[in-house]
Amino acid sequence: MTLSDLEHSVSRGYQDIEEVKRYTGFGTGPCQGKECLALVASELARLTGQPPSTIKPFTSRPPLAPTPLRLLARDPGAHRFDDDREDG
Amino acid sequence: MRGEAVEVRIADTSVRAFADESIAAALVASGAHVLSRSLKYHRPRTFFCLEGHCSGCLVRIGGVPNLRACQAPCLAGTEVMGQNAFPSAEVDLLGAVDFVFSRGLDHHTLMTGSSMLNRLANKVVRQLSGLGKLPDVAASQHPEVQRYDVDVCVIGGGPAGLEAANQVARAGRSTVVVDDQLRPGGSLRTDPRAGRALAEATWRAATSAGAAVLSRSTAIGFFPEDDGGVLAVAAPDRLYRIYAKQWIWATGGYAANLPFPDNDRPGVIAARAVGRLLVDHGILAGDRVCVIEVPRMVDAASALAAGLVEAGAEVHRVALDRVEGVRGRSWTSAVDTADGKYDCDLVAVAAIPAPASEGARQQGCQVVLDPTVGGFKIVVDDLGRTSTPNVWACGDVCGYLGPAASAADGARVGANVAAS
Repeated sequence: MTLSDLEHSVSRGYQDIEEVKRYTGFGTGPCQGKECLALVASELARLTGQPPSTIKPFTSRPPLAPTPLRLLARDPGAHRFDDDREDG
Repeated sequence: MRGEAVEVRIADTSVRAFADESIAAALVASGAHVLSRSLKYHRPRTFFCLEGHCSGCLVRIGGVPNLRACQAPCLAGTEVMGQNAFPSAEVDLLGAVDFVFSRGLDHHTLMTGSSMLNRLANKVVRQLSGLGKLPDVAASQHPEVQRYDVDVCVIGGGPAGLEAANQVARAGRSTVVVDDQLRPGGSLRTDPRAGRALAEATWRAATSAGAAVLSRSTAIGFFPEDDGGVLAVAAPDRLYRIYAKQWIWATGGYAANLPFPDNDRPGVIAARAVGRLLVDHGILAGDRVCVIEVPRMVDAASALAAGLVEAGAEVHRVALDRVEGVRGRSWTSAVDTADGKYDCDLVAVAAIPAPASEGARQQGCQVVLDPTVGGFKIVVDDLGRTSTPNVWACGDVCGYLGPAASAADGARVGANVAAS
């Protein structure tokens, strides 16, 4: 994500964080926005003239960090795909 | 300071490392530069934060892809390889993407004129993008799932979290602290005014008070629908399910970058990472260091500069609004400023850390964007209560304070939790 990617996005009319995320893909890499969310939000406020307090972050979803699926495999609460099969 | 010597293999070269440090620290000390390539433009990437939060140091370790070099300990015989580049991270032919699309690559309009060209473009793009290659062998371990039922769960083992845990544990509450780093201490390990000894003492004090402190344990999500709410925490060999009556978010802030031209060049790294190498590992990461800073971080930048000078480096400090660019392709060689060129072998970015508030947001805590304190801070009242009942917050996650003030804030909020 570069500043020109953000400027391009704003010029196309995508002016809130969720729209910019969907248009540019920012916040969807391995760090999930940890490096860039605050910076993009601050630059977005500057570029669009919106007061910072009106800018909302994108929805926070698990997992918050890259997680190997094997860690979840033994969880008793984990949904087993076998359970859905009628023939067991 | 660097502990017992071990040999690790990095890209088929044997490197002398120390058992007590991360692979990233060993790489820095050995002079390794480019580790991987960025996802889209295939720009050279290396360490930035050294705290396990950026995507700069993803490497393949022991045949497993996408591991953070800064969160993996140096074990004898560890094999480390770069990834996401052909033929290697240093020389990546796919870096051509960055030249060909020097004005930016908008995948929404890339070769959409003809459907045949578009299908071809999609095929090529799918080859280029993505992260790493599958592991060599299937996982052999069967991880444990461990349940914790506690009075208080503290998320974050930096100055605020450890001091808060100390207070609640002392008041007789069963307390668990989850910390994602190799060792607790957080920003205390990055600031010459605090240091490793203070980090260890603060950690010991929390443990002596009765708190269980879990390292290399990352909160990955809060699930409110499960038995009144469970925090899932991932450790290398197990998953913790944590149930608590009270929660304290003390996750601090992420080392952030600043907006200036060429800020993603290898050799431009977080000031706090430079501090961590110096304070926690005894490694001087550059001989001529250029510190780029904003007014709010002048104190922290001064402390870092003093530490670097004492260790023998030459330091040049420049305000963000004077920076015009960074030179050097595979590693930084100079910073161009409005006052002239400054030759350097490291650029340290002193930005306000960005509050790590997204976990608290999963518990419904209100946040607000406040660029003067780093980003989306958790909103708290005078006592440290968030907008969600039984959920508290303290330290840098409520807006940047710095290590000493964060410790004081943690102790204050911890006492309030204990009195509640």
